[in-house]
Amino acid sequence: MRYLYTALLAIVLSTGPALAHHGWSGYDSDKPMNLTGTIREAGYEHPHGYVKLEVPGKTWLVVLAPPSRMENRGLPPSSLKAGKTATVVGYPNRTDPNELRAERITLDGKTTELR
Amino acid sequence: MIHDPQAAAWLVWLESSALAVAMRKWMWLYPGVEIVHITGIVALVGGAVLFDLRLLGLSRGLPVAMLARHLLPWSRVGLGLVAVSGAFMFTAHATEWAENSAFRLKMLLIIAAGLNAWAFHRWPFRSVARWDRDVPAPPRARVAAVLSIALWLSVISCGRLLAYL
Repeated sequence: MRYLYTALLAIVLSTGPALAHHGWSGYDSDKPMNLTGTIREAGYEHPHGYVKLEVPGKTWLVVLAPPSRMENRGLPPSSLKAGKTATVVGYPNRTDPNELRAERITLDGKTTELR
Repeated sequence: MIHDPQAAAWLVWLESSALAVAMRKWMWLYPGVEIVHITGIVALVGGAVLFDLRLLGLSRGLPVAMLARHLLPWSRVGLGLVAVSGAFMFTAHATEWAENSAFRLKMLLIIAAGLNAWAFHRWPFRSVARWDRDVPAPPRARVAAVLSIALWLSVISCGRLLAYL
């Protein structure tokens, strides 16, 4: 049994930070951010869509909503395109300094709530 | 795509496969697979835990061997459903899940739960005819039941928490 615990502990401690984090509790809602930049890459994907948003000095991975929700709220796949300018309001990830979860996104003058 | 540049080649390959792309891009495939996964959990853990509770002394009038024949095949069906649906979900974000500590712990706990079930059938369950009904199950069977409940609840917890780590 002791070997099992040691093995479990070793495996848990050996993991690096995960790349994407999904629950809202992983993001710091005390630090809302407002970013405007250029979409460099976009994914209309499960479980959450995303854009890589280039702002001066940094490129953020902005986590959006599930595709079905974005579709329902009038944000079709065709609207998320590289090269477009987007504004997002969201919260930074508590552990990954390059990731933000968006509460809303403004594209082509239209704002979509994502939560 | 959101590949980790340091990810192992087989994980990147898996994540780039047609199945993984379909999982991420088709509107209703991912949620459909999640529904299968939850249904599988119900069958697997439901059957196992109800059987464990009998081993722990609840409804002692029900014959253990008969209850095992009724419940455990459903647990095996559930295991098949969660394994296939889980593999589908894993491919969609293979590089990410492989790094996720809750996911890794979950896999280890599933192995532990499987070994526990195997050991139960290999040893205490062989003598079930002697404690089939109206008498307490032997201590080793009850230990296996407690372990089974604890392990499966931990597996469910890790499964839910991996989206929050």
